[in-house]
Amino acid sequence: MSRRFDMTYVFDFIPKLLAYLNITLLIVGSSILLGLIIGMLVALPRLYNVPVLKRVSQVYISFFRGTPILIQLFLIYYGLPTILQWINIDISRVAVLYFVILAYALNSGAFVSEMIRASVSAVDRGQIEAAQSIGMSGYQTFTRIILPQALAISIPLFGNLVIGNLKDTSLAFTLGVMEMTGRSQTLGTATQHFVETYIALSLIYFVISMILEQGFLWLERRLHRHEAGAKQTSAVIRRKWLTRPVSALSKGGRSG
Amino acid sequence: MIQLEQISKSFGKQEVLQSIDLQVKKGEVVVILGPSGSGKTTLLRCINYLEKPDAGQITIGDLKVDTKHPTKKEIHALRQQTAMVFQQYNLFKHKTALENVMEGLTIVRKMPKDKARTISIQVLEKVGLGNKLDHYPVQLSGGQQQRVGIARALALNPEVILFDEPTSALDPELVGEVLSVIRKIAKEGITMIVVTHEMDFARDVANHVVFMDGGLVVEEGTPEEIFQRPKEERTRQFLSRITPQATYSI
Repeated sequence: MSRRFDMTYVFDFIPKLLAYLNITLLIVGSSILLGLIIGMLVALPRLYNVPVLKRVSQVYISFFRGTPILIQLFLIYYGLPTILQWINIDISRVAVLYFVILAYALNSGAFVSEMIRASVSAVDRGQIEAAQSIGMSGYQTFTRIILPQALAISIPLFGNLVIGNLKDTSLAFTLGVMEMTGRSQTLGTATQHFVETYIALSLIYFVISMILEQGFLWLERRLHRHEAGAKQTSAVIRRKWLTRPVSALSKGGRSG
Repeated sequence: MIQLEQISKSFGKQEVLQSIDLQVKKGEVVVILGPSGSGKTTLLRCINYLEKPDAGQITIGDLKVDTKHPTKKEIHALRQQTAMVFQQYNLFKHKTALENVMEGLTIVRKMPKDKARTISIQVLEKVGLGNKLDHYPVQLSGGQQQRVGIARALALNPEVILFDEPTSALDPELVGEVLSVIRKIAKEGITMIVVTHEMDFARDVANHVVFMDGGLVVEEGTPEEIFQRPKEERTRQFLSRITPQATYSI
């Protein structure tokens, strides 16, 4: 079927695919941003144990963590307009890109809320009591003691989430969104050099993931300065890392 | 003066504190002894409302709090009048020794930073950590961390400092340095309530000893009365079991 393998096509395709990187990054950026807002709102009822809302957010989280992202994309793209039609709102003309962003935002929101919950509850209870014992208010305790430490704890989880989201956006092509993967399909069809397009595509995803990974690693080290004591040997520090209470809570099996 | 009246507390069906009365005069060091599960830590934690008492009244100086229906303001006031030293130190891990001590002064007391820094350095020097100001908790030994914990409480200059088994989590060879710091500040006339298992220390530093068991004050008195001439059988039993000679007998 396809033509003989030719490495030069790989280098030829890379810039052509990169021209659509902005769409991929737009989906990642805006859905993560929205996901952070959604995730915070969803995490609150669980952190503060609000009776009914807690159940609602649990159902939301279970649904978006427990179903494949591809199905979520289809449900939102095909299902949402139908539902909204019942109440006479017509969104069939809204660009597909917005549906895609919404789907990824809702999906990320579920993981963000779990990340927030895990990070906040990983801050040791004793420090919260210590803050109360010196007379700090709830707000002061949260902003001065819990938040800075929860933030540091959440960075590795957040890094996984962003990289996972980046890779998941490749599925947007199934709805006809012209991002990098979508473009690779058309390039492949036009030139009949499919393998080369996929090599080029994976190289790009790989490099971006690497850059993100390094960035998050740097951030993590910065936020954990207080743990990397000069007096300690690196072995001791590494041991501390492993026993970090949330290490078992990273995302695990996820599509993409 | 600190006065606890009829403090009661239950966890579920278990009555942990049964109408406890306790009086602590200004400058007095009160040591609370008792087997684990006797309610002594819970009593301590009721004083600064880390644990909510079911009933009773707490008076610290001019502040009188009905613990059943306290306002937020009253809880805040209770915590402002007291400070606590925890068994597990509970230092703020993302802050240096100096920042740990300054936090209460700048954030709660709204003290200007340079004034808070001066006070904090003084206090840290007092506990022998003048050379560890910029160390984070992980860089300090258990004994040093607990001394920062003591400095954090001391800097606030509270009406009373509550010590919750301050040496129980420490390696045996680090216990001494912490006890000697507590001894030193006790001599300065700071009011303290100490829950401890260190009998020699209790005998040495206490003005008043309270023995608790099963959520009740079984007996109280001067260290001499309690250690030399305990009236109650339960106190005698406890003391004979916890003193070192008996620890190793079969």
